[in-house]
Amino acid sequence: MVPEQDVLTSSTIWSQLADCAEKDKALHLANFFASESDRFARYSLQAAGLLADFSKQRLTNESRALLLKLADDRQLRYWIDAFFDGAEVNCTESRPAKHWNLREPVDNAPAVHEQLDAMDAMVTRILQGHWRGVLGDAITDVVNVGVGGSELGPLMAAFALQSSLPEEGQLRPRLHFVSSMDGSQVSQILQELNPRTTLFLVSSKSFSTVDTLHNANTARCWLARGLSLGHEDPSLLRCHFIGISANVERMTEWGILPENQLRFWEWVGGRYSLWSAIGMPIALTVGMQGFRELLAGAHDMDQHCLTKPWEENIPVMLALVDVWNINFLGIKARAVLPYDGRLKHLPAYLAQLEMESNGKSVSRSGEPVTYDTCPVIWGEVGPNAQHAFFQLLHQGTQPVACEFLMTASRYTEAVHSDSVAELDAQHALSNANCLAQSRLLALGERALDPSLELPAYKRYQGNQPSTTLVLDELSPRVLGALLAMYEHKVFVQAVIWGINPFDQWGVEMGKVIATDMLAVLAEPDSVTGLDVSSVALARHVAGFVK
Amino acid sequence: MQITVYGDTLCAQVTATAMAQTGHQVSWVVVEPSSRGQLSAGRPLFREQGLDRLFTEQLESGRLTPCFWQDAHAERSVAVFLALPPGQEAVAETIVRQEAESCECEVIINQTMGPVGAAERLRNVSQQVRGTLALVALPDLIQEGNAFLTFTRPDSILLGCEEREGEALVRELLRPFNRRKDVIQVMSLREAEFSKLAISGILATRISYMNDMASLSESLGVDIDVVRVAMGADPRIGESYLYPGCGFGGPGLSRNVLALVDALDNRVSEPGLLEQVLQTNERQKEVLFRKFWQFYRGDVSGKKVALWGAAFKPGTHRVDNAPALKVIEALWAQGVRVAVHDPKALSDLKEWAHGRGDLILCDDLYEAVEDADALMLITEWKPYWSPDWQRLKRQMREPLILDGRNIYDPGFVKEQGLVYRGIGRV
Repeated sequence: MVPEQDVLTSSTIWSQLADCAEKDKALHLANFFASESDRFARYSLQAAGLLADFSKQRLTNESRALLLKLADDRQLRYWIDAFFDGAEVNCTESRPAKHWNLREPVDNAPAVHEQLDAMDAMVTRILQGHWRGVLGDAITDVVNVGVGGSELGPLMAAFALQSSLPEEGQLRPRLHFVSSMDGSQVSQILQELNPRTTLFLVSSKSFSTVDTLHNANTARCWLARGLSLGHEDPSLLRCHFIGISANVERMTEWGILPENQLRFWEWVGGRYSLWSAIGMPIALTVGMQGFRELLAGAHDMDQHCLTKPWEENIPVMLALVDVWNINFLGIKARAVLPYDGRLKHLPAYLAQLEMESNGKSVSRSGEPVTYDTCPVIWGEVGPNAQHAFFQLLHQGTQPVACEFLMTASRYTEAVHSDSVAELDAQHALSNANCLAQSRLLALGERALDPSLELPAYKRYQGNQPSTTLVLDELSPRVLGALLAMYEHKVFVQAVIWGINPFDQWGVEMGKVIATDMLAVLAEPDSVTGLDVSSVALARHVAGFVK
Repeated sequence: MQITVYGDTLCAQVTATAMAQTGHQVSWVVVEPSSRGQLSAGRPLFREQGLDRLFTEQLESGRLTPCFWQDAHAERSVAVFLALPPGQEAVAETIVRQEAESCECEVIINQTMGPVGAAERLRNVSQQVRGTLALVALPDLIQEGNAFLTFTRPDSILLGCEEREGEALVRELLRPFNRRKDVIQVMSLREAEFSKLAISGILATRISYMNDMASLSESLGVDIDVVRVAMGADPRIGESYLYPGCGFGGPGLSRNVLALVDALDNRVSEPGLLEQVLQTNERQKEVLFRKFWQFYRGDVSGKKVALWGAAFKPGTHRVDNAPALKVIEALWAQGVRVAVHDPKALSDLKEWAHGRGDLILCDDLYEAVEDADALMLITEWKPYWSPDWQRLKRQMREPLILDGRNIYDPGFVKEQGLVYRGIGRV
């Protein structure tokens, strides 16, 4: 049997794409725009409250047609159908990846809706001030204890949706996120909060993540001390802890009472779990109606991805453009640049979603791949990034593909009415910067006045490709569609590359050897067989411990 | 003198009654259709001891005539009182404009509580129409439950008045109530409005302060009632408004403090202290719920609680912002059944509860406690002061007495074999 990666790089379509890229090397984006007045119409798509503009990518009719053929060659239709049929697309863990099921209507997902309703009851109680601490006080602060997918998604979305208020008569609790293993956050938060009015959400798919369990244990001891209760006191656990996990047994063993357990399933990957009860901090921000809107938006995108032909399919086109940039144009980095401060945590969320999913070098058939997969992804709120790393984007030696995001409508909420004129001006200024940057990156100095004579250090080469995503507004529904779009893009890329995006074996081993290292830290000289660097560092640190 | 009083408020009813009683010819103009039904049937809008009878007497004497806004056939009057509910600025402006256009009216007396500056705005309206018309502010200092007496025998009268003619006329109208000594203090319109709010603010502050002291007492093992008496004996402090309890409510006090917070919020200064006062009070409204919750360690679903008293204070049928409402909502949310007795407030309470949840409304106080897991004393009506303890003990499933007004003697109740929890008491 021919190993899979050979099928890819030795396929006709792969060489055709490589030839095409070689031929296109001399072309500049400025020329594309000079000669194609209909370029935007041909290279932009709209769906579910989103507009995706690919026209500033270095695409031609020929390269696009070849990329679409590549999708067919890689049996994308088969894989998308298999994915949405619930087939075992996660081959190394022998299970399906059905996060799309979390946003289906009740008839197709009764178990999902049962948990949603349980979460609804809890969220509504908290928002109405009827969830009580052990002394009968209403909860005012909710602390999400979780790491990775149990933090990044909820944190990003809860922050993004701060302008969407819950229903009339409901009051948001203050939300806090605790993840870091070293206790940096938990130590700070415990100083500021009142144990009588604080509720902890312990979120962990396996309920065995050491980071989370240590933070949760510190919180539990703090509550027990502050409220003069025993560590095992059932009223402490009933009033101050909700558990969210796919492992009911471990959750119970830790002490979460059955009525405070929300569960999800093995077929939901951690980085795909914000749609489940893991998304509770989002629901505490926007209310359950808003959370259901978020799910509905994602469901819109699921339908779009499942039914649209490739050339009209936003996640598919995004994936193909990425493959083009990475594998054929040699662009190994992507910057995510939201021009809306509410999307501040999106780059970190996407770094996990994409790099943990597609940071793989072994194909589905177990062979090493001979082509690049996921690029390095980073980012920052656009206008702030302009004062930080845009220098490299404009004049550095590394080519970087950029992704600009902006919101069309903003500050429509009544709460902004007093300052609406000033805020509208700021919004317009930010969007103007977004358009200016993508234009300058694409056209280079040809975006400027041609009569200018520039010294070398003031010159802009341009020809840096970018995609611009415009959200109608940053509402729960549109955000749901945006995030589902990224999820599906990641899957489509994985199909092209022939890798499994749903496992993360690369992060498992570090957890195991860290346990061994505890013994080394305790007694650096008692251990043999370690490298000298690790032993010396352990000895150095141990010298400071009394 | 021919007088018109506008508004569907207790203040309007008291003013109209008192003015009629002293010999004036009074038209009382109401706006709400529901008020119309009540008054047509000869019933007062607000029922208070003493006031009910006086009101009926004035109706019968023919000196007091209820009128309806829609009909607007009130006699043209020399003096016009505005005592509208809050939030009816547009109605107030319309009335002022109409009265300014009629030539009879010589003074408009604004008793309506609004933000500081509201009276000035009305005066601007009147002066646009007729520059000689006086508009004064007479902030409502009526105490609910004792409304008529506080109007007719006031300790002080705040009069915002910036025209001499207006002052003379108002002094003449208030003469029967200003006999022992002159208690009228004349100041600017804004000063009168602000003084009223500042008075509410300090009263609220005293109560919240005492509630804070009460929570502290509990953790220190001292009886707040002993401390209260000791504090009150100091003449710099005085005895009134030192009672800790399960929170203050009512349409007036909390609204005035809110208005004050708003006023401060709109200015430069931070509303820190007063916001804290209100927050402490909102928390305090749930104090009996917390004691109940703590007693059963949070396991309260399916239990039954009896409430004695729902009115925001004794002597009134009103439940606006009353602590009982917050307690009931908290109990409902935990799946607790609630039975309520109140001598006057049950129909108001029933109206409030409509569409929110189920209440067992009891006409007999002992009926309410049948099989109850706790009794909460919320409003200190007189019939609650000396209950039949043995009967309570027999009828309740768990004889837990939660005394929100510290009216019982903790030692005596315990000796009777019941469990007692007060506010700040050992």
